[in-house]
Amino acid sequence: MVTREPWREPPIGLLAELTHRCPLACPYCSNPLELTARERELSTAEWLRVLEEAAALGVLQLHLSGGEPTLRTDLEAIVARARALELYSNLITAGVGVSERRLEALAAAGLDHVQLSVQDVDPEGCDRIGGFKGSLARKLAFARAVRRLGLPLTLNAVVHRHNLDRLERFVELALELGADRLEVAHVQYYGWALANRAALMPTRAQLDRSVEIVKAARERYGDRLLIDFVVPDYYATHPKPCVSGWGRAVILVAPDGRVFPCHAAHTIPGLDFPSVKDRPLQWIWQESPAFQRFRGFEWMQEPCRSCPRREIDFGGCRCQAMQLLGDPEATDPACTLSPHHGRILALAEAEAAAPAPPFRYRRLEERVAAPA
Amino acid sequence: MSLSPDDRLVLARGVRVRFDPVRNCHVLLAPERVLFPCPTSVEILGRLAEPRPFGELVAGLAAEFDAPEEEIRADVEALLADLVAQHVVKVERRVA
Repeated sequence: MVTREPWREPPIGLLAELTHRCPLACPYCSNPLELTARERELSTAEWLRVLEEAAALGVLQLHLSGGEPTLRTDLEAIVARARALELYSNLITAGVGVSERRLEALAAAGLDHVQLSVQDVDPEGCDRIGGFKGSLARKLAFARAVRRLGLPLTLNAVVHRHNLDRLERFVELALELGADRLEVAHVQYYGWALANRAALMPTRAQLDRSVEIVKAARERYGDRLLIDFVVPDYYATHPKPCVSGWGRAVILVAPDGRVFPCHAAHTIPGLDFPSVKDRPLQWIWQESPAFQRFRGFEWMQEPCRSCPRREIDFGGCRCQAMQLLGDPEATDPACTLSPHHGRILALAEAEAAAPAPPFRYRRLEERVAAPA
Repeated sequence: MSLSPDDRLVLARGVRVRFDPVRNCHVLLAPERVLFPCPTSVEILGRLAEPRPFGELVAGLAAEFDAPEEEIRADVEALLADLVAQHVVKVERRVA
């Protein structure tokens, strides 16, 4: 391995996956297939230390995620420390088991923003996707409590073949609830979503319609509602600049303390991701071989290496290149310049055209059992 | 975007501006976004924690920087148009 200069640019956001426990079981969950049990989660003191180290390193925003972060009883203490460190705290929640009193305590601790997932605007669809009965009514009550407390609210709508035909109603719901932002995010196929790809992949027609709906909604409601839109990779022209480039803007700490550049990095073989239990966050970010691995442009193959877009999208996603091509240095096949793009586009079209298979729900007990 | 002196301006919900000692500059923190405002924007944003009429904002800046109000008004209006478009500042229109 070539020794490299420590990386001096600080991370912008810390994605703190406080726990993998979750009342929901969404088949597109971004958590790994092998989930971490409660006994292996970092302690309160360890998380507070991570926040101190992150702030010193230059992190500006703290995304409190999971699993369901409100299942951590020490969340108020974590939010309070974030506020003391001037970190902007963002709670990413399913909103099904959070009382108004709990929300008040989090607001009092200094919470800055709430992002609420809504699996579907149809109650049955919402229950079926999340695997939780009565979920939508609870989510709506939670959203109203967020607004009563004066906290800014983002609705997060992960969209796929089962709920895309109701996208206009997601926009209406966001307006009705007084949300400040709506994220319309087509499923990204990693982890559980990759395992459920055939059950989730939309048709090209559904994608095209979603683009039109978002465009019209932005024109009509743009002054009231900020709409972010993420398109599905497989139908893309250029790949997404995944996490703004490997180890450039985002640092993710998993429930057990291991540190990653993104949700799926663990799927790339041969990389040793350090833990906050063993190393300072600064060393992990600036010097660890795993974070240095895909920085810069030397690792790139053609057509990326000589591509004028290499500083825009950084060759796309390393994990997707690994998953679909078995080579983490290859051009992300979401790119039309990849020689494999046609194959994955055909795959998406075939899966979207076939009847949807049943979901494989995200569950802790689905951890791969050790061979007998 | 054209602003009348009575239009009230305020930071959008969830927006915070602070100095970042690591990067040695001001940063604007908003839901899922970080922006790096220019020094003039920082001056403006620092005065909009509470709703403030556009006319008062311009008069205050003109006094502080000892510049003609007309000049300040044009510059500030252009910057505000950008901040409003980015959902960082909200305009509360005077109800006629």
